[in-house]
Parts: sequence; structure tokens; C-alpha cells
Amino acid sequence: MSQYFAGVDIGSTMTKVVIMNQSVLASVIGPTGPEHRKLANRVMEEALGKAKLPFEDITYVVATGYGRINVPFADKQITEISCHARGVAYLLPEARTVIDIGGQDSKGIKLKDGRAVDFVMNDKCAAGTGRFLEVAAEELGVKLEDMGKLSLEAKKAVSVSNTCTVFATHEVVTKLSKGAALPDIIAGLHEAIATRVYGMLRRLKIEREVALTGGGAKNIGLVRAMEAKLGFAVLVPPEPLLTGAIGAALLGKDIVKEAEEKGTTLARAERRLQEATLFT
Amino acid sequence: MSGGEIVSHHVMPSGGNYKLTAEEVVKKALGKAKLSLKDIDYIVATGYGASNATSANEVFSDLSCQGRGVSYLFPSARMVIDIGGQFTRVFRVKEKGKVTAFLQSEKCAAGSGRFLQVIAKVLQIDLKDIGELSLKSKNKVDFNTGCAVFAESEAISRVAEGALKEDILAGLHRTLAAKIQSMVERVGLKPDCAVVGGGAKDIGLVRSIEQSLASKLLVPEEPQIVAALGAALLAEEKAVPSRSVTNLKGG
Repeated sequence: MSQYFAGVDIGSTMTKVVIMNQSVLASVIGPTGPEHRKLANRVMEEALGKAKLPFEDITYVVATGYGRINVPFADKQITEISCHARGVAYLLPEARTVIDIGGQDSKGIKLKDGRAVDFVMNDKCAAGTGRFLEVAAEELGVKLEDMGKLSLEAKKAVSVSNTCTVFATHEVVTKLSKGAALPDIIAGLHEAIATRVYGMLRRLKIEREVALTGGGAKNIGLVRAMEAKLGFAVLVPPEPLLTGAIGAALLGKDIVKEAEEKGTTLARAERRLQEATLFT
Repeated sequence: MSGGEIVSHHVMPSGGNYKLTAEEVVKKALGKAKLSLKDIDYIVATGYGASNATSANEVFSDLSCQGRGVSYLFPSARMVIDIGGQFTRVFRVKEKGKVTAFLQSEKCAAGSGRFLQVIAKVLQIDLKDIGELSLKSKNKVDFNTGCAVFAESEAISRVAEGALKEDILAGLHRTLAAKIQSMVERVGLKPDCAVVGGGAKDIGLVRSIEQSLASKLLVPEEPQIVAALGAALLAEEKAVPSRSVTNLKGG
């Protein structure tokens, strides 16, 4: 009988589930949201539906991400640093550094032999995270998913002098009202995030190749801004949001394989999909 | 001011057009005092947009004015916490309001009044009601973040989970107070300590800071006019000894 592995990545903004055997069979990306935080079971159900598998057939479930503790049906919780590292090493084996720009944090991870050897992280301040762009987009009246394309039309990026999201947003709205072009402003916001993330990463001693993941990697303007900071092109996986969930599923596979080789039995959660009783 | 006493005052939002606001606010204050501009001997402007006050004879830094104003109201004050809309400042004052050590948090909204504005919007309550409401809290909500933006989403989550507004506010006051406390510690606490600026009108925040610092705070009756008061005191010093300045249109 073939084995199936599930990775559940509960990010601050999005919940991601993948089901794998030799490759990815099904994946679902849904919002995390305040009322969705305990509903990883629903996203899981949807993924099982897509893969046409009953939950009993899943050999091992690994949860990751900042909400990983809220997945009662997971067999194991693993940090997103390890999962991102594993996911990137699988998808982009040539990568030595990972930059993950998430909804409410950003991270830099150094890889060696497919494992995380060092990392830096900012989740204390919204500057340099997806949230920065989300807040600014809302104030500017632009859809978040349009920001990337719009910024490519920029002639000259507006310089954003404030670091704080609250003040920077105020600054760009004022600049817009004084006649600055919208694409130039958005390009300036991307530059501001890239500068902030780059500043955080310097401690890591960035090594090529660099993979860019997380929601931020779906924004072509931000990718370009990051590349301009680095001075070279970055690698972006086909679905940058799924790296952590794929890594989680693969780590589950590694765990099962190791247990089989050693002949040990694995502790597993009950195969019953249920809502989480929230732990925060 | 006249003879060391406040004759009238007026406070209004700065808005987008500082010049117009400056004219308007002077007019309003003059109206309350039943005076006209030519009755004023000397005008000192201060604050972020001071250069827009075209009727001013001179501009002084807001720090000097704030220090002077605090010393006038509270001669025993040796330290001032100024919680403004965009940033918080902590400074030491000597006699006569001379400012010595000084620290400002302008890089980040976390320690400023802006933080509370953001939250007031989320909770759909009036900024001026925050203080009283927060005092009703029996169970302060713990916040994981000092960032104004993240606190906003955290507050939304807590509301969704059914937390009471007063508990959220009291939790935020504690977060804000911790940030201000760390600024005070960097300058070095020296009682008596006065708190001024818009944030001082929030009784919940004032109590929270008092708790963090384990020190009573002096709060002016009208905390938002302290810098303007200091400016008027400095203007009086300029005008009274000589009585020579009459060019009110200059600046």
C-alpha cells in the first residue's frame, strides 16, 4: 500500500495544506483569519477531497507555521524554519539561502545539505513584512495582488523615509495627494520592504542561490526590488506559498522512513478531523 | 497670556493645511479673550509646523517651550513625558524649564498616541472615552506585540474571541506604558515626573504608566497646551523687558 503524507502550514494570514506521496497530489490555500484559526480541519478536508483520499490513508501529518499548535490532528509539530528549509531544498536544490516574506513576518534561512543551519527573523515589527504592503495597499485603494504589476510601470520609485508602517502609509498617502504617480509610490514601498529585509539578512552572509518564498514572492515588483538590493536574480518556486507545507509533508516522510529503518513504532494522533481548542 | 496668567486658549486638529489652521486657531483664541491681533505684544510659534504660523515674531523649538510650560505649571517637575500624536518624548528639566537629557520615539508608532488612535478605530470608540472605559477592566488582555499594526490585528482577534473592550484597552495601555517605561529608564527616572501631550488626557494610560514606573505623575489640567503655554511665557519674556517689538506681521 502506498504511503501518503500531509503538511499543514498555518501562517499568520494563510493556511496551506499539501498531500504528497512521491510528489504533490493535492494542495489547498485558504485564509487563516481570526475565525479560521481553529479550522485547519476544513482546509485538510478540502485537500483530502481533491486527492480523493480518506483521512485514514494519511500515514503521517506534520503541522508547521505560527499556528501549528492549533492542529489537533497532527502527528507532530515542526518549526517553520525546518519546514521551509526542507521544502526549498526539495524544490530548488541549488538554493543556499531562503528569504521568506510572509503575511506578518519575514525570515532569512541559511541552508546546508538541505537543512537550516542559521536563521534570522522579524515578527516584532510590521515593516519588512507582507502586512506593510497590505496596510499601504488598503490606504492607497489598490488591490494587494495588483501592487506588483502596477509598480513595474514606475518611472522613478518614490523614496519612503519612514520605517514604521503607520507613518510610512501616512507618508505615501500625502505624497500621492501632492501629485506623485501611483506606480512610483508602490515601487517605493517595495523598495522600503526590500531594504528592511536586506538589512535583517546581512547578518546571515547571503550565499547564492537565493530562493524567495512566502506571499511576498508572488509580488513581481517586490521580487525585482529584492533582486536590485541583492544585485542578482533570485529563484522563486512555482507556488511560493506552499514551500512550508511541502517541507512539513517531506519531514513527515523522513520521520516515517527513519522509524521503519530502525523498526521503532511512531506515536500518532487519532485520525479524526476536528476543530482546535485554541492555544495561543 | 498677560501678567503671567492665561487669558484664553484654543486647541484644534492641525489638519492638512497648517497655515490656515494656524490663522484659525489664533483667531479663535483671540475671540475667546475678546482681543485682536494688534493687542498682542509678541507671538512665539512652536511645534512641528511652527514655520506656518505667519503671525509669529519668532519660532522656538517645541522642546524649549514644553520645558518652560511644565516648569511654570509644576515647578517641582524634573522629568517630562510628552505623549504626542506621532511620537513620544522623554526629557529632563532643570529649574526654569531648561531641558537637559532627551529621548524621542519618532521611528515607530508603538510608543505614541498614534497607537491608541489605531486601536480606537478598531474598537469603534471615541479616543477621549478610552481612558475611563479602560479603568473598568478587571482582566487585562495580554498583547504579544508592541507594533501598532500587529496590535491592531491582535485586537481584532481578541474582539472576535469575545474579549471586552475595556480589557483590550487596559492591555494596550500596559503595552504602551512598557514602551514608555523603557524610554524613561534610558533617560533615568527623576521625580517629580509630569506627563503632557494628548496621551496625558487618557487617564487609563496615565495610571498604567504610574504603575510601570511606580511613581506618581503630575498631569496638567489641559495637557495639550503646555508647549503653547511655554511659548507664550517665552514671548512674554521677550516682550515685557523691552516693549520694543511691535512688528506683528514680521516673522
